[in-house]
Formats: sequence, C-alpha cells, structure tokens
Amino acid sequence: MKSTVKLGLILAIFAAAACASLAVVYQITAPAIASQEQDSLNTSLKELFPDATAHEDITAAVTSGDETVKIVSAYLVKSDMAPLGVAIKATGTSYKGPATLLVGVRLDRSITGVRVLDLSDTPGLGGNASNASYYVNKGNKVTFPGQFTGKYITDKFEVKGDVIPITAATVTSKALTKIVKVAGASAGVWLESMALGNATPSATSGASTQATAPATSGAASAETTSGASK
Amino acid sequence: MDLMKIFLMALLVNNIVLMRFIALCSYIGMTGDIGQSIGMGTSVTFVTVLATAVTWPLYHYVLTPLNLQFLKILVFILVIACLVQLVEFYLKKNIPGLYAAMGIYLPLITTNCAILAVTFESIDYNYTFIQSIVYAVGVSLGYLLAMILLAGVRDRMKTSQVPKFLQGAPILFIATSLIGIAFMGFSGLIK
Amino acid sequence: MKRNEVKNLWKIFKAGLVYENPLLVLMIGICSSLAVTSNVSNGLGMGLAMTFVLLFSEIFISAFRKLIPNGARLPIFIIIIAAFTTIVDLVMKAYFPALSKSMGVFIPLIVVNCIIMGRVEAFSSKQKVLPSIFDALGMGLGYTWVLIVISAVREILGNGTFAGIQVMPASYTPILFFILPPGGFLVFGLLMSINNGIKSAMKKREALAAKQLPDQRNAKENA
Repeated sequence: MKSTVKLGLILAIFAAAACASLAVVYQITAPAIASQEQDSLNTSLKELFPDATAHEDITAAVTSGDETVKIVSAYLVKSDMAPLGVAIKATGTSYKGPATLLVGVRLDRSITGVRVLDLSDTPGLGGNASNASYYVNKGNKVTFPGQFTGKYITDKFEVKGDVIPITAATVTSKALTKIVKVAGASAGVWLESMALGNATPSATSGASTQATAPATSGAASAETTSGASK
Repeated sequence: MDLMKIFLMALLVNNIVLMRFIALCSYIGMTGDIGQSIGMGTSVTFVTVLATAVTWPLYHYVLTPLNLQFLKILVFILVIACLVQLVEFYLKKNIPGLYAAMGIYLPLITTNCAILAVTFESIDYNYTFIQSIVYAVGVSLGYLLAMILLAGVRDRMKTSQVPKFLQGAPILFIATSLIGIAFMGFSGLIK
Repeated sequence: MKRNEVKNLWKIFKAGLVYENPLLVLMIGICSSLAVTSNVSNGLGMGLAMTFVLLFSEIFISAFRKLIPNGARLPIFIIIIAAFTTIVDLVMKAYFPALSKSMGVFIPLIVVNCIIMGRVEAFSSKQKVLPSIFDALGMGLGYTWVLIVISAVREILGNGTFAGIQVMPASYTPILFFILPPGGFLVFGLLMSINNGIKSAMKKREALAAKQLPDQRNAKENA
C-alpha cells in the first residue's frame, strides 16, 4: 500500500511540475497569440471596409437565424465615429469540416465582400473557394467569394441561381453560400434593431453618417427580419 | 438530419484512416488477422466513445471556466491512458481470452492517434455533447471498417505473387491507396 | 572525451538517420506523418516540431531516469511528452500562426507519435543524457528528411511548387492525385520499396565483403 501511495505522490509531483511550466509558457505566449489574432482581424476588416479606422465588438448582440451556422464574432466597423457596417465571422459545416467566413455588410444591406478564413475542403475542388486564382466567372475574373460583393442580404442566395458554384464542388458551394446568407441576415437583423441605415437597396456609399430615422419600415426590412427569425 | 451527416462523413467520406492518414501504426500492424482487426477495432470504438464522453464535459465544465484550456493536451491523453488501463483490467478479469490475444496491442491503444484526434476535434469543431458522441462513433466505426477491409485484402494477398521489392509494407500502402481511391467515390453521398 | 565514446555517439546518430530510420525501417510514427506531407513547409515544420519534442523529452527523461519509479513510468513519460507538445503548440500558435493553422490537429497529435514514446521507453530511460541527445537528433532528423522527401514529391508533382515556389514549367498541369490521401499512400509505399531495395543491395555487398575476408586471409597465410 505504501508503495502505491509513493508512486501516486511522485506522479503528482511530475504532473504539478508539468502544469506549472506550461502555465509559465502560456503566460509568455498568450500576448503574442492574442496580438496575432488581432492583427489578422484588423487586416481582414480593412480588406472588407477600406475606410475603417476602428471597430467595436458586438458579438453578444448578434444571433444566427440558423442552427447550423454559428456566429463566432461580430463587429461594428467604423470610420472615425461613423458606422460603416457590420462584419460577421460565421462558421458552418462544409464538405470536409467546418468553414469560417468573414462577411461584411454595409449600412445599405449590401455585402462589401466575403473572406474565406478557414476551409479544409479538397484542394482543386472545394478548396478552390479560398484559391485567389480560381475564377467562377473567367471573363470578369471573379472568384467564388468575390461574387458576393454587391449582393443584397435579401437576395435568394441560390447556388446555380444567383450564385455561381465552383465546378464539381456543389457541396462546398452550397455550404459557403448558406453561411454568407445567414451571416448577412443576422447583420441585417442587428442593423435593423439599432435602426442604422435603411433597408431599401439604394446605392448609398459605405461611409454614410449618423443613424437615419427609425421606422424605415417598408416591405424590404420586414422581409429581412422575418427571413432571419428562428 | 445533421447528426446523420456527421456520422456518414466520419464513417465514409472522411474515413479517418483512408482519407486522413490517422491511426496508421495499428492499421499496418494489426491487420494480419481478421479476428485481431475486429478485436482492435471494437476496443478502439469503445475507448473512443468513452474518452469523448469524459473529455468533452471535462473541457467545457472544468478547463474552460478555470481558463486552463492550455492543459488540454496533457489532460486528454492522461484520461485516455487511464481509460485504457481500466479496459485492460476489465478484460483481464472478465474476458481473459481476448486479453491474451491482444497482448501488447492493448496498451498501444493509448497511443492510437484516432482516439486523441476525435477528442481534440470535438472541441475544435464546437460540437455539442451529442454531436461529439455521434462523431466518435462514426470515426471509430470508420477505423474498424478500414481495418477489416485491409485484413481481407492481406488475406487475399497471401496467395498472390508480390514483386520482391514491394513485399511487406510497401504493397500494403499501395493497396491502401487503391482502397482510398474507391472511398473517394463516397464524396457524392452527402448532398 | 575518449575517441571510442565519440565514435559511439556518432553511431547512435547515424542509426536514426539511416539504418534504423524510424519511418522507413522501424515503421513507427507513420500516424501523423503522411497527413502533413502534402507540401514541403508542412513536412519541414512537422519534422522540426517533432524533433523538438523528442529531444527535450529524451533529455528530461534521461536526466530524471533514476527518479522515475518503474511502476509509474508510462504516465510520467506521457506527462513529460505532453508538456513539451503543449509548449510546441503554444509557441507555434504565437509565432508561426499560418503554419500552426495549416497543420491543425497534427501538432497536438505529436504527443502520441509512436517514435517519441518508443525511443523514450527503449533508449533514454536507460541511457545517459548525452547519448540520448544524439539518439533524439538522429531519429528526429531521420524522420524529418523522409518527410521532406515525401512532401517534395507530392508538392512538385501535385502542385508544381516546392515550398510555394513554382518549379515546374507553367505548362505543367499538376496531378492533383498526389496531394490527395491515396496519392500520399502511394508515394510512401514506393519510397519504402526503394529503401528496401537499397537495404538489400547494401546487405548483399556486406555479405560479399565478409565472404572475401577469410579468402584474403587464406591467401596471405599461404603466400
């Protein structure tokens, strides 16, 4: 009995020493890890909203209208103090694993762009979604995520309808389209709830100023909210 | 049916051995005999599901609230090692025949990459508890399937003429490559 | 240091590199190695990460070998290996985030890499620190060079690039097959068979040389 206790004690000492050293390494690397994530976030936000100078975390206030797509984080992107739009980082299941996209939505409910942050689908097939030299529209040199720029969050988002799929990668195309659609809808709901901008698809520039008057109702906003409700 | 999709993808489309290269050590080492393969496969299934059932709540209800996520690797592998010890004791006492047959491969289950991979991925993919269990079952059955398939192929190969320089492991990998190509056909299964 | 000791260390190092190469000869550690060889950066990264964990695990376990009771040695090995794996994981996430993301779950999986557990149990738990260092370096680099060869073949044939740099002429259509899993298995199988061929050729040469020696001795004696 005594030897078992001794064994257990030695084991515990080693375990404690290991945990302690790991805690130290963790403390040292944590700031670097955090700043890496900040940097990549800032870069992505700048790509979607070139005029952006600041952003505010609004993740708690944004919910996904679809249980298969998860809203990882959401940011209100601003140029100085004026709101530019919302950027949503959403994850959903794609062909070979989860896919994470960053979707930017302007105040006029149009999409500024989509960035593929994480994708593990087959290279050469679904993986082409994150390939910068793969074009779904070869004439205009538009990539798969690139085609979402300018679409309205109230569009149909039907693969082979208003969305061009990646050849031989229907599953990936549908999965990513769904993520964009849900992210866009969630952005719309939030913008509506904060009464920012309006839902009518007018060609307002991204850098619109103060929050416009609420009750911007009309069929468009009602569609957005009902479309995104659970 | 999201759970069905997770299960099928883990079992076939993303088969852990044939499509993801995980758990190859035991795959090559234990498929000499179909009985051994089945024994190993079912043991791995049991340990994987049990390990997932223990590590998932451990991560979400103990490590995360205490901000100790960085201890994930250490804690998970120790949990698996303990579970394998328990399985060993149980088999030794209750099914001594299987215990003797598995011999040295039983403790080797601890180092089976598949089990640890499943526990990590259940966390990384943000699965719920039920989804994790379904994923664990799918992956380990996929492992069992791959084992049985290769054991069958090896059985057939015993009576074929393999070129000298391909004998042993090389021909097994080439055979696996061919089985893998066949499995790629499953990619159309999920709409 | 005595000349014999240095020779011994060098022998240990060479064993891991060629004669007892973990992947091609001992056939351990294959688990995560094929998955990370779809391109050279991943292959190199994995090789170096694994070598780091192997080196420090062997050093620590060899240094503490007298303090580790036999009954609890496996859990203690696991604790030490897991600790260094976690350190590699954290360091990569902090300073090499792109590589860390690209290798995904395979960095944490280093903890169950059969090579590390195998060498620690078979070698460094019974040897002094200096030989353990050479064993770790030999095995680690032996693992790394095989990974680089496999990933080079797969990346050049499957993508036309080497570590991201275009090497094949622009007219070369990459054969996607090599980046996909079945391609990896095929390349590995063929590499093993080539190694088998080299080994048997070397064995034949050694047997021939051994046969000649007594003959030469006879000739000398009779001269």
